[in-house]
Amino acid sequence: MDRRKGYTHWIYLVPFLIFIIMTVLIPLIYTFYVSFTNMSVYHWTNYKFIGLKNYYKALLTVDSGFLSALFRTLLWTALNIILLVFFAFVIALGLNSPELRFKNIYKTLLIFPWAMPAYVTILLWRMGMFNTEFGFLNQLIRKAGWQPINFLSTDVYAFLSCMIINLWLGIPYMFTMIDAAMQSIDRGIYENAYMEGAGFWRVHVFITAPMIAPILTPILIMTAFTNFKQFDIVYLMTMQTGSKTGANIHTLITYVYDKAFVTSNYGYSAAVTGIISLIIIILYMGMQKIARSKVN
Amino acid sequence: MKFGKRKLWKGILLEFAFIILCLLTLLPIIYALSVSLNASNSLFTSGLRLFPDKLTLENYYTILLEKPFLIWMRNSIVLSLLTVFLTLFVTVPAAYAFSRFRFRGQKATMSFLLLLNAFPTILSLFAIYRIIKILGLLNKKAALVLIYTGTMAIFTFWTMKGYFDSIPNDMEEAAKIDGATNLQLISKIILPLALPSVLVAGVLVFINAWNEYIFATIFITGTEKYTLALGLYSLQATDYTRNWPLFSAASILTSLPTLIVFFLVQRHMVAGLTAGGVKG
Repeated sequence: MDRRKGYTHWIYLVPFLIFIIMTVLIPLIYTFYVSFTNMSVYHWTNYKFIGLKNYYKALLTVDSGFLSALFRTLLWTALNIILLVFFAFVIALGLNSPELRFKNIYKTLLIFPWAMPAYVTILLWRMGMFNTEFGFLNQLIRKAGWQPINFLSTDVYAFLSCMIINLWLGIPYMFTMIDAAMQSIDRGIYENAYMEGAGFWRVHVFITAPMIAPILTPILIMTAFTNFKQFDIVYLMTMQTGSKTGANIHTLITYVYDKAFVTSNYGYSAAVTGIISLIIIILYMGMQKIARSKVN
Repeated sequence: MKFGKRKLWKGILLEFAFIILCLLTLLPIIYALSVSLNASNSLFTSGLRLFPDKLTLENYYTILLEKPFLIWMRNSIVLSLLTVFLTLFVTVPAAYAFSRFRFRGQKATMSFLLLLNAFPTILSLFAIYRIIKILGLLNKKAALVLIYTGTMAIFTFWTMKGYFDSIPNDMEEAAKIDGATNLQLISKIILPLALPSVLVAGVLVFINAWNEYIFATIFITGTEKYTLALGLYSLQATDYTRNWPLFSAASILTSLPTLIVFFLVQRHMVAGLTAGGVKG
């Protein structure tokens, strides 16, 4: 393309770059700066530098909660990615089978969770499904003659409830992408494989999956990041201001939020942000490497 | 013939499986809809029933007339539109420049932008709060417009650059040879070509701003300044906790605009997203 001399392109670029510097970069740098101080509600203006103390506290104190949040977040990300891909793959296979008549109707209906505002549906799940008194699930449980379950008050139940919502929210996007990737496969390959006597699952695990994998790699990477950065579900389900449910299922991001805006320990919260940033940079570079090697 | 019969059964089974799947997927939404329309409202006594026997729109009237719902909606519309305009205003020219010009440091800038985009904005929420306070923008719409634009700018820039890359350069070259000025080039050739994708990007920004609540809870106080998302959030946190029918009515009213917009642009969106995915 053209390698125009002169500075015309800067006219287009400068507003954008200035804007990014002001709204994204400066807050990040400022957060980094705060992470070396003891800034908190008590030290709002008269804070002082305390070196790496906040970092030590996060990484070396067992009961700081940071390490368990880190572990929980990794577990959350891994479980969700595996289940998302599994369910989405099965749904996409179903949608691509020639026997299915009303494909487009199903596609439209199944995509609804993606189309609704996420915070609304999370609240609907909380009130409509999981609520102890009038939630749908507990009404079912009561009908069956059992004791109602307080889904959000214990860690394991709350974690699983959040995971169900996350899958419900995430599967539509994933199956749409897998479905689109499957459309690009040449059908002739299947006929050959079936002729040679391969079964349905064999064909799709050994032919379809490897063929769509390179197309899906960037989408999987993006989804991994989205899950790693989980905030809304955990926040809205268990830790809303004034209506905490008692379960402690902090992810990294809710942990930072909690330290900054609930316990108001800004310096410490900023240090945790610094550590998360480092993790994100490492993950990001690793993922880039994977993506590049897949493309080549 | 036996083979054909087996195929038929397989088809019916598959059809059945998908109907169940759709019902399971829509269950929370159907349940909310039915509760919001239920006239007898006897959640505790009548037990489980997905479809109410007597319908009413009373909950919807209450929301629309008694609650400041319409004011919140107006706030949300103004805020979202301002965010869309600001985002497009800063990102579209930059995306165009990145797509059409080659300059020093371009690759490095691009990977740096992508890396920046990997950070959730919420991590620097506290720093943003302090900066906004220093700027004197607390409890002002401008603060949220700036923040929302900041969260969406790199993503929008990225998608727009992808679209520009897919538009061939030939026409611009031809126009340039005919002596078109830069301004003519943009207004007569590039914008008309890019308009559909600009619209899709705008819609994504709009939905994002429309649905944001956590920044709003930090920066906005006073019910008359609430956005719809913040309003709904505050309602479920307070008096709606006990009034689940009203809350579900409000939820459905809030979701309608996004649902409509989503299904209007869905086709373009899926195509655009997968195109980006294929390119890597």
